[in-house]
Amino acid sequence: MTDNNADDRNLDLFFDAARQAAPRAPDALLARVMQDAVSVQAGQLAQPSGAPAAPHAGSGLFGQLWSALGGWGGAAGLATACAAGIWIGLAPPQVMPDPVQLVSSASSDYDVFVIGDLAAEFASEGG
Amino acid sequence: MPRTTAAAPLPDETLLAMFARGDSAAARELTRRLTPRIFALSVRMLGDRVEAEDVTQEAMLRLWRMAPDWTPGGAQVGTWLYRVAMNLCIDAQRRRRGGAVPLDEAPEPEDGARPADGRLQDAARAAALQAALGDLPDRQRQAVVLRHLQDLSNPEIAEIMEISVEAVESLTARGKRALAAALAGRRAELGYSDDG
Repeated sequence: MTDNNADDRNLDLFFDAARQAAPRAPDALLARVMQDAVSVQAGQLAQPSGAPAAPHAGSGLFGQLWSALGGWGGAAGLATACAAGIWIGLAPPQVMPDPVQLVSSASSDYDVFVIGDLAAEFASEGG
Repeated sequence: MPRTTAAAPLPDETLLAMFARGDSAAARELTRRLTPRIFALSVRMLGDRVEAEDVTQEAMLRLWRMAPDWTPGGAQVGTWLYRVAMNLCIDAQRRRRGGAVPLDEAPEPEDGARPADGRLQDAARAAALQAALGDLPDRQRQAVVLRHLQDLSNPEIAEIMEISVEAVESLTARGKRALAAALAGRRAELGYSDDG
């Protein structure tokens, strides 16, 4: 039908224009999404499937500390940071491994990101 | 950066499995690859960039959380993510008072003016289309946006919307007829003709 063909052609002009003007995801959004990914990975790796459920974060002292820490994810991060701090602060005996090398080869397979760095990283990519 | 072949990048499903094993490069690649698509869809559905950012971040968060449970060989990652984003957009629209789609930063058309050139004309057409999309029924808008702006196939859209391919075609056809009628009165200012 001529009218439908004309309508389709005209609409194609609008669709083409809309595709050209596609909304661009802001760098800050990309950084937030990436930060969520890092946080979720930390939590998932700290609590593999089959592990005991997280302690109930009730109103007692332990519950408050657990909530303030951020649950399993926060505990994993704190444990890694504590281990790194202890090794970095000591001069290792010759029989002991290089602490920096130990930290970099820790069981955690994820990188720790700083939000500011993430925003800069995606800005340089053009989002 | 995850290893890629010279010919093709790693599929989303492979990257998601790598993510579930703690691969930060896979997380970065999935973020770059999927976030812009979901954001563009959300802006087109909601007409509001701030709301679209919230929907996008929530959709991606759900993807990260379900990664360890992803079953290979089932639905495509993109299809699953589009469906989540669509449902979040629908929820956002329902929460809005009156269900209106706001015109976010839409340029004002010039009455009776000769067509603007180049990018100004494209921007005006895009804004006019966004306004007209906002007046469509939800399901027609979803089908038209997925088909003609997100460039998905009818079978993909059918899976996202959980309807038949025939239903997708019907929704798209009705949506396009409504759009054509809504935009018919703006031919002169937007620079297109009525020639058959």
